[in-house]
Amino acid sequence: MSKVFIIIKKELATLFRSPLAYVILCITISVFHFFFYLIIDHNQEASLRDVFKVMEFMFVFIVPILTMKTFAGEKLSGTMEFLLTTPTSHLTIVLGKFLGVFTFFSVLVGLTGIYYVLIEIFGNPDLSAVMTGYLGVLLEGGLFIAIGILVSSWTSSQMIAAITTYLLLFILYFSASVTTYFQGAMAEFLRQLCTMTHFDNFSIGLFSLADFVYYASGIVMCLLLTCVSIDKKLWE
Amino acid sequence: MIRAKNIHKWYGSQHVLHDISFEIQEGEIVGFLGHNGAGKTTLMRILTNYSKMSDGALYIDNVLISKNTIHLREKIGYLSENPPLYPHMTVNEFLMFAVHLKNVVRKNQRRQLEKVLDQCQLRDVQNKVIATLSKGYCQRVGIAQAIINDPDILILDEPTVGLDPCQILEVRQLIKSLEKKRTVLLSTHILSEIEQMAQRVIILRSGKIVADAAIEELTSGGENRHKLKLRLRGDPARIETILKEHAGVEIEAFEAGADGVCCVLRQDISLSNGNKLFEQLLREQVEILAVDTVKHSLEDVFLTYNRK
Repeated sequence: MSKVFIIIKKELATLFRSPLAYVILCITISVFHFFFYLIIDHNQEASLRDVFKVMEFMFVFIVPILTMKTFAGEKLSGTMEFLLTTPTSHLTIVLGKFLGVFTFFSVLVGLTGIYYVLIEIFGNPDLSAVMTGYLGVLLEGGLFIAIGILVSSWTSSQMIAAITTYLLLFILYFSASVTTYFQGAMAEFLRQLCTMTHFDNFSIGLFSLADFVYYASGIVMCLLLTCVSIDKKLWE
Repeated sequence: MIRAKNIHKWYGSQHVLHDISFEIQEGEIVGFLGHNGAGKTTLMRILTNYSKMSDGALYIDNVLISKNTIHLREKIGYLSENPPLYPHMTVNEFLMFAVHLKNVVRKNQRRQLEKVLDQCQLRDVQNKVIATLSKGYCQRVGIAQAIINDPDILILDEPTVGLDPCQILEVRQLIKSLEKKRTVLLSTHILSEIEQMAQRVIILRSGKIVADAAIEELTSGGENRHKLKLRLRGDPARIETILKEHAGVEIEAFEAGADGVCCVLRQDISLSNGNKLFEQLLREQVEILAVDTVKHSLEDVFLTYNRK
C-alpha cells in the first residue's frame, strides 16, 4: 500500500508542478462560482441540486485534461519502462495514478464546500441531501477519471488520449438524449448507460444502491481493463 | 544466473528474435553487439520483463521468469537507451521515488540514496531539478536509479549514447566501478567500449545470435580465423601469384619494398593450411623472414559476422 501512496504523491507533484493544474483550478472554480450565483439567484432556494448538475457537465471537459498524461506521458518520456521494470505490480501503478488524479479532483470539489456554508447562512439546507450530492459528484468524477486513465494507457499521444476520452465521456453523458430514436431494450440500455440518469438521484439527495453500483462497478472495470491494457502492451 | 532458452519474439508478423539461447554466469560482463534493429533492445527488454517473449523460456537464478516476476525484478537494475527520468523532479526526489518502488527496506533507504549519490558523483546536483541537468548528469542519474537497490544484474542499453567524449569516459569509469560482484549486460555501438569493459560478446544480426564467445577468443580468431603477417624475400610478382592461388588465402595487404615483401593474409588460414603455404613458398625459393599472427580487432570480428 505504501507504494500506492508514493505514486499518488508523485502524480500530485506532477500535476501541481505544472501551470495547467492551476489554470484548471482557477477556471473551473470561477465557472462554478458564477453558476452558483446564477442558480441561487434564480431558484431562491437553499439547495445545491442544480449546482451539482453544472459540476457534472463541467467534469466532462476537465477530466480528460487531467488524465491524458497519466500513462501517455509516461510512455512518451520513456518513464513507463522505468515503472514497469521496478518490482511494482500493475495494479499498484494503476491505483496510484487513479488515486493521484482523484485526490486532485477531490481538492477541486472540496473548494466548492464553501457553497454549503453560504446556503447554511442564508437558508436551511438539507445536509444529508448535500452530502449525497457530493458523493454523486465524487463517484461521477471517479468514473470519468477511470475512463480517462484507461484511454491514456492505450496510446503514447496525450492529444489522442484527451480526444478519445472526450468522445467516450460525451457518449456516456448524452446517451440518454438519443433514446427517442430507439425503442425497447436499446432505449433502456442507453438510458441506463447515461451518467445523467444515475447522477440525477444523487443530485436531489437520493441515494440508490443501483446508482452506486453503476459508478463503483464502472470504476473497478475501467481500472482492471487498464491493468490488462498495460499487460497486453508488454506482449506487443 | 541468466539462462535464455529458444527465445522468439514477434511484433505482429515481424519475427524480431529468432531462437535466442545463451547462459550468463554470475559476475560476467557481457556485451551485446549488433546493428540498429538487430534485436538488442528487444532482448534487453525481455530480460528486464518490460516486454514478453512470444516463445521460449528465461530463467534467472533457475527460476522461470514468467513466474514470480515482481520478485525477480528486484534482482535487476535497468538503464534504458534514454534515461527514464521525470524532468520536474529533483535528483533526490527521483532517487527516493526509485528507492521506494524498488523495495529497499525503509531503514536502509536513506543510506542507499547517500551511497549512490557518492558512487555516481551526484552530490553537487542532488537538489537540482532534472530538467536543468546536462546529458552526462542525466545518464548518471539513470545509472543511479538502476543500482539503488543493489541489484545482482545490471542491464545497460547503450549507456554512453549521445554523450561527449569526456562524459563517455566518466560514465565508462562509473560502470567499471560498479561491475564488481555484479552481472553486467551492456549493449553499445561503440566497439572499443565493449573491448574495454566486457569479457564476453554476443553478436546479434537480424534477431539471431551469430557469435557468442569471449572477446579474447573472437579477436585471436577461431580455428579458421587466423590472420598472418609475413615478411618474405623473393620475386614480389611470383610471391603474389603463389598467395593468390593458394586455397583459402585472402591477401589483406601486400607491400613490396627493398627489404622484401610484407603481407597480411586473412580469413581461412588455419595453422595446418598455413604450413602448406609455407612449404609451397619454400619450394618456390621464397625466403620466409618473419611470421606473425595478427589479432583481429573486435571491429573486424563484428564486420565479418555482419557480412556473413
